[in-house]
Amino acid sequence: MFEKLVNPESIAVIGASHNEKKIGFVVLKNLVSHNYRGKVYPVNPKGGEILGFKVYREVNEIPEVDLSVITLPAELTVKIFEDVAKKSKFIIPIAGGFGETGKEGKERERKLKEIADKYGARIIGPNTVGVLFPSTGVNTALIVPERSRFPEDGDIAFITQSGALGLLTMDEFSMYGVGFSYFVNLGNRIDVNENELLEFFGNDEKSKSVVLYIESFRDGRKFMEIAEQVSRKKGIVILKAGRTSRGGKAASLHTGALGGSDAVADGAFKQCGVIRAYDEIELVDYARALAHGKPIFGKRIAVVTSAGGVGVVTTDYIESEVRGIGMKMAELSDETKRKIKEEVVPFASVENPIDMTAQASDEDYDGVLEALNEDENVDAILVYALFQTPLISEKLVDIITKWANKGKPMVVGVIGSEFSLEMFRKFEKNGVPVYPTIERAVKSLRVLYDRGKILKRWEQ
Amino acid sequence: MNEYEAKQMLKEYGIKVPNSFVANCEEDIENLNLKYPLVAKVLSEKILHKSDVGGVILNIRDKEDARHAFKKIHGKFNTPVLFEEMVSGGVELIIGVLNDASFGPAIMFGLGGIFTEVYKDVTFRVIPIKERDAWGMLEDIKGRKILEGYRGINVNKEKIVELLLSVSRLVEERGNIEGMDLNPVLATPHDVIVLDTKIIETSR
Repeated sequence: MFEKLVNPESIAVIGASHNEKKIGFVVLKNLVSHNYRGKVYPVNPKGGEILGFKVYREVNEIPEVDLSVITLPAELTVKIFEDVAKKSKFIIPIAGGFGETGKEGKERERKLKEIADKYGARIIGPNTVGVLFPSTGVNTALIVPERSRFPEDGDIAFITQSGALGLLTMDEFSMYGVGFSYFVNLGNRIDVNENELLEFFGNDEKSKSVVLYIESFRDGRKFMEIAEQVSRKKGIVILKAGRTSRGGKAASLHTGALGGSDAVADGAFKQCGVIRAYDEIELVDYARALAHGKPIFGKRIAVVTSAGGVGVVTTDYIESEVRGIGMKMAELSDETKRKIKEEVVPFASVENPIDMTAQASDEDYDGVLEALNEDENVDAILVYALFQTPLISEKLVDIITKWANKGKPMVVGVIGSEFSLEMFRKFEKNGVPVYPTIERAVKSLRVLYDRGKILKRWEQ
Repeated sequence: MNEYEAKQMLKEYGIKVPNSFVANCEEDIENLNLKYPLVAKVLSEKILHKSDVGGVILNIRDKEDARHAFKKIHGKFNTPVLFEEMVSGGVELIIGVLNDASFGPAIMFGLGGIFTEVYKDVTFRVIPIKERDAWGMLEDIKGRKILEGYRGINVNKEKIVELLLSVSRLVEERGNIEGMDLNPVLATPHDVIVLDTKIIETSR
């Protein structure tokens, strides 16, 4: 459905520019710097050459392409659109000045859609930062490279109604080495919508979870139908913003006054297996948990730490219903306690949370994780990899990764500055769910538990 | 649709409502054959907040009371009067339906009275709902412990789930329900009974 969009063999840039500050230049530059391997056709009446690409004077001169990016203002976009639609499978009109500005803009949108339908082309946008597909080097977004970063290739697909929120979020997470498989900004969404993309990314092998930032649904019922199918295969996280007011005659009823559309959306998400996030950090944190973690099928959590206070605060977060996740600290079996006390770390506290103290070594962690993985009273493990103490080395990353891969569901907390951040990125690269704060680690445990409940629900 | 018609519709879907009688004129009171005490209500689809305008009279003890009540309400509003057996005790619930702009018809559940008015402690699902969704709604609300039994008040949760499913089925099958209030619904240890209801249909 969208294969030629995410992996286009040829791209036309309509409105390509010699001016480095213009989007018509940036799009070309992005293609070069992201090693896009397909054919590139810049179009500009001035002709000449930009970044080594031959510039075509008219759209009619270029062959058929998989994707056209139009970097012209709204009015010119409309004017040239028929020529572009004849040549393209997918079109991204970047400019604003469409439906978001009022009646005249709406009329422009209507024209674009009519023309696209006539030639069987599909539109992403308009009024969009476009798309970013790290694995194929397709990137239409405008950023200042000195001040922000694009993410690397990864396994989270990102569908957003707000381009800026999406780019900011990916910039933030690229610091932690978090990658994305695909990023699509729907813009004014006159054609391609979140439902089609969710379905496509749902079937895509590369994407292990899908995140959405949505302000309004194109078709809520269709969304539920597709989300239910996709959530059988992979996790979906949504950041749903904005509340629409309800009018109509039913507003005279009590029920009408009590239900904003947000309350209904909340119920809908529960019905179709979608996990809800309330800000951009939760959105990507939960997506990483779902992409890399295992679902949790019980409420009993074992906590391993070398810092006592971290264990205590974590316990509060795990057990508390308010500012917490309302789960349980596991009651470790006598055998587990014996093993830890006699064979692994005689100096440690063997009650959950297991405080291994600053004397803990990499091997001690290995032994404790082995014991916990054999304990039937434990449903999942939260382990803190704290690199500030002398007997802990980088090897701890491999030890914890090993248990994350073969053992019970596990979430890792790494707290600290540069060195810890470096270790954090290693965990991320290894596909282990890793978090930089207690709260974020604990909330991600809860999401994996919710994921377990969703999977059980689909089994019924 | 007036309250009597609305309740007849609920009855068709197996939803329990109080035994009732409609008096169009004073002579009809002779045929009133319900178990006292009764409540008398103005019967009009135009009046949505009956008690606010003096359209409800409670604690009718006998036929003489009933005649007085009829005269008073009929005299004031010039409408038929609905007599119903009074039901009391139990836990008050609210169940509703609205038509959401994005998701279409959705069902609401909450504890009635102060819980909805002050705390807005309600939860929604998109119609049609499955049994697991109905149970999920009971779990969702913050006041869920009240449904577990509280100061000797017990409710029958299975009956609440049945009611939610019946409302969902009604909305799905009718296909023209714009909104509904079942408020209050009284949950007792054995039953749930809809004391008041408003149903608004889509205009054709």
